[in-house]
Amino acid sequence: MSRMFVDELSPGETVATSPTPCMHCVTPACAESCPVQAISVTSDGIVLSASLEKCIGCKNCTYACPFGIPRVDDVKKMMYKCDMCYDRTSKGTPPMCASVCPTDTIMFLEEDDLKNHSPKEVQYQWDFGGTTIETRTVIGLPDTKRNSFGFYDGEGVQS
Amino acid sequence: MGHAQNREYSQRDYHAIERDGEDLISTHCCFCGMQCGMNIRVKTETKEVIGVEPRYDFPMNGGRLCPKGVAAYRQAEHGERLLSPLIRKNGELVKASWDEAMELIVSKIQEVQAQYGKDAVGVYSGSSMTNEKCYLMGKFARIGLGTKNIDYNGRYCMSSASFGFNQSVGIDRGSTNPWSDIKSADVLLLAGSNTAECHPLSMPYIWGARDNGAKLIVIDPRQTKTALVADIHLDIRPGTDVALANGLLHVMIEEDLVDYDFINKHTTGFEKLKELVKKYTPEYVSEITGVSAEKIVSAARIFGQSKNGMAMFARGVEQHATGTDAVSTYVNLCLVTGKIGRKGSGFATFTGQGNGQGGREHGQKTDQLPGFRKITDPKAREYIAGVWGVDESEIPGPGLSAFEMLQALGSEIKLLILACSNPIVSSPSVAHVGDYLKSLDFFVAIDMFLSESCELADVVLPSTVWVEDDGTTTNVEGRVLRLRGIDRTPGESRRDWEIICDLAERLGRGKYFKYDKPEDIFNELRVASKGGIADYYGITYEKLDNMQGVFWPCPTEESEGMPRLFEDLKFNFPDGKARILAFEHKGPNEKISEEYPIFLSTGRVVYHYLSGNQTRRIESLLNFCPDPYVEMHPNLAKKYNIGNGEMVKLSSARGSIEVVAKITKIIREDMVFVPYHWGKTLAINHLTNPALEPNSKIPEFKVCAVKIEKKAEIVGVKHG
Ligand code: SF4
Ligand code: SF4
Repeated sequence: MSRMFVDELSPGETVATSPTPCMHCVTPACAESCPVQAISVTSDGIVLSASLEKCIGCKNCTYACPFGIPRVDDVKKMMYKCDMCYDRTSKGTPPMCASVCPTDTIMFLEEDDLKNHSPKEVQYQWDFGGTTIETRTVIGLPDTKRNSFGFYDGEGVQS
Repeated sequence: MGHAQNREYSQRDYHAIERDGEDLISTHCCFCGMQCGMNIRVKTETKEVIGVEPRYDFPMNGGRLCPKGVAAYRQAEHGERLLSPLIRKNGELVKASWDEAMELIVSKIQEVQAQYGKDAVGVYSGSSMTNEKCYLMGKFARIGLGTKNIDYNGRYCMSSASFGFNQSVGIDRGSTNPWSDIKSADVLLLAGSNTAECHPLSMPYIWGARDNGAKLIVIDPRQTKTALVADIHLDIRPGTDVALANGLLHVMIEEDLVDYDFINKHTTGFEKLKELVKKYTPEYVSEITGVSAEKIVSAARIFGQSKNGMAMFARGVEQHATGTDAVSTYVNLCLVTGKIGRKGSGFATFTGQGNGQGGREHGQKTDQLPGFRKITDPKAREYIAGVWGVDESEIPGPGLSAFEMLQALGSEIKLLILACSNPIVSSPSVAHVGDYLKSLDFFVAIDMFLSESCELADVVLPSTVWVEDDGTTTNVEGRVLRLRGIDRTPGESRRDWEIICDLAERLGRGKYFKYDKPEDIFNELRVASKGGIADYYGITYEKLDNMQGVFWPCPTEESEGMPRLFEDLKFNFPDGKARILAFEHKGPNEKISEEYPIFLSTGRVVYHYLSGNQTRRIESLLNFCPDPYVEMHPNLAKKYNIGNGEMVKLSSARGSIEVVAKITKIIREDMVFVPYHWGKTLAINHLTNPALEPNSKIPEFKVCAVKIEKKAEIVGVKHG
C-alpha cells in the first residue's frame, strides 16, 4: 500500500492541502539511520517501507528524515511510508496517487521527460542548514512569469 | 491512442494493474457529468467489489479520478444498502416480498387513477440514471401509466442551459466542442463554475490551455480554487451575470473587438443587442455587479482580442430566476466575436449530474419526447407513437415540471413514483416539500439507500448500484459512452429497468415493455431518437466500445458522430443563423431588505455529490467534510461579532438552519455561502427561494436574502 501524508486538511476551507510524498532521497537518511537495517533501497532508487520482520518501531527514521516522512504505528510498532506503490511502479505504471490525481499536481515522469517536456522549473536539491539533500521526487516551482494568478497568503486572500 | 477523435485528450499510456483472482470491470464513475472512466476491481469468485483501478485508456480522464470517483466503489458493498422491498405498516417501514410490494403499488395506482384520473399519478425521476432508464421512464409514465406528469431532477440542474442554448443556437448539447479543444483556446471564460472542485477532471485541460499561454477569466462571487488561478477574477455580486456579460459586450463593441463579418453572415439580432448594451458602461455595470470597472474592461479586452476562446459556465449562472437570459448573454460573447465552430472556440456548460445530458434528451422531461422532440409537435407525436406501437392519442400532452409537480402533491397528484432522486434535500424551501410528500395518498420510492425522501415513502423498492448494470450515459461533451456492469443483484435488489418493466406488466401494459437487456432498450431508443435533434440512431454498443464513446448527433450507421458542432457555421434554425438575443439585467427575484440584509448562495464541495445520499455514506468522504458550514468574510463576521467555528443561525423568509461559521476572505462581504449536500435540519434548502425561471422552471437556488444571528460560542470545531 502506498501512503501519502497530508500535512493539513482544511475540509470545506479549501481543497488545497499539502500532501507530502516521500522524496526518495538519493542517500536516504531514514535508511541510513535505521539501527536494524529494516529500510531497503531498491536498485531503481525507491526507498521502501520497513521490513515487517526487522522493524522495531524505534522512530529513528522519523527523526532522521529531513522531510518527516516515515510514520510509526505505535500499536503495531511498525514503520510505514510511501514506497512509490512498488507493485505498480515496478511494472512501469505510476503510483496510485499520481494515477488518480485529478489535476496532475502529482506526476510520475522519467528524468528525461521531466527535463525535456515539463514546462516547469523544478527543484530537487534541498539545503538543510548547510547539508545538501538530493531527492528523486522533485517539486515544480510555480510559473510566475507567464501566469499572473494569485497565491493564498495564508489567510485565504489573493496577493 | 485508439480512435482519431480521442487523440488530443489527456490520456496516458499505462497499463492497469491486474491481479490473480480478480476481474477489472471497465466502466465509468457514477457521479458528475465528466463520466470519468474507471476500472472496478471485483473478486472473480464472489463478485465482491473490492476497489478501483485507474483506466488509463479512457480519453477524458486518462486514469485520473477526483476523491468522489476514488471512493465511489465503496457504495457497492455498503452496509446500508437496501436489500429488500419495504412497506409501511403501522407507521414503520418493514420488510416485504416483491410480490406484496408490487401488488400493493399496482392496486394503489389503479385506485387513484380510477378515482382522480390518470394524471393523478406523478413520476419524478433522476438524471443519474442511464439513457436506457431515462428513456424507459418517459415511456412508462406515458404508456404504462398514461399520465402526463413526468419530470426529473435535471430541472434543478441544467434546464436553463438547455433552454438558453435552444433559443440561441437551436440545439441543446451541453458543449459545442470536445473537451480536448479546451487546450487550444487562447482565453477561457469560466462563469459561475468552481471547476476545480465540481469538475476536477476538467482541470488538466484548463492547465493545458494555460501551459499554451491561454488567459483565464473567472466570474464568481467567491475566490474559489478555480478563481485563485485566474488571470482576472471578476468577483460578481450573485445574480448579476446578465449585467456583467452586457458590460463585457459593451466594451467589446466600443473598442471594435467584435467580428462583423461573422455577425453579418451568421447571426441575427446584433443591432438590438448593440442598442441595449449602450447603457451598460463599465461604470454602470460596476455599480450593479460590484466588480471594478477596470477589471471589466480588461476582461473584455482579453476575451475580444483572443482569436480562439471558450465561454464555459455552470449552475452559478443557471440557477437563477433569470438563468436562461444569462446563458444566452454569455453565448452572445462567442457569437459577436465569432468564436464558434473551430478548435478552441465555442461554449459549454458543465454538466452536474452524471447523465445530465442524456437524461434530458429522451423524454423524461414533461414537455419532451425522445430525441429532444417537443411533445406538442403533432409530427413528433405521430412518429413516437409509431415507435411505441400505440395510437397517437394515447400519448399525453405536457404536464407539470419538477418543482410544480412537488407543489401539486396531495392536490392534483395523489400518488408519486420517485426514482433516483432525493427532492427533500435538493428542492428549494424543503420544509414545504416534506409537507407535500406527506400529503400524498401513496408514495413509492426506488433507491439503493434509504434517502431522506425514501423515509417518507409508503413503499420503498431496492435497486442496484451503477456497477451492477449495463447501459449508456452521455457526458459533459455530448459523448455517449458505455457503462458495463457486474452480473449480480445483492439481496433482493433489482435493476431499475426491471422494476419498471415488471410494474408495466402488472398494470397490463407489459406488451410495450418487453426487453431482455439494456441493449434492447437502447436499440429502441436509437429508433425513437432518429431524425430528432439528439439523434442516436447511428450509435451502437459496438461502436461505443470501439471508439470509446460516440458524440451525438450520429444519424446513420456510417456516421461516427460529431465531436464539434457548427463547423459549417450553420445553426439549427431554418435560416441557419444563430440568434443574438438581448436581455436587460433584472437581478435576483428576491432583494435584500432591512430584515434580511445579506445574500445567501449555495453550492458544492469537492467531497460530496448532490443531496449527499451517496457520498455522505462513504466514510472517507464524510470525514473530509462532515457537516455544512457558512462561509463569511471577516468584516461581515466582525459586524455580528462571530468568531471562527461559532454556531450561527441563518434564516430567510422561508426557514432557518444552524451551522458553524467559517471565516474566510475568499468571499464577498455582502454575502454568505453554504454547501447544500445535507438533509433534514442541515439542509440549506430550507432557506432557498422557490421562485422559478419562467422558461426553464429552474428554482433560484443561487441567491436569496437571509439574516444572521450568532447562536453560541463553541470551541473545538475547526472549519477554518
Ligand atoms: S490528489 Fe492531486 S489534487 Fe488532490 S490533493 Fe492530492 S495532489 Fe492535490
Ligand atoms: S465525480 Fe466527476 S470528476 Fe469525479 S471521478 Fe466522478 S466523473 Fe470524474
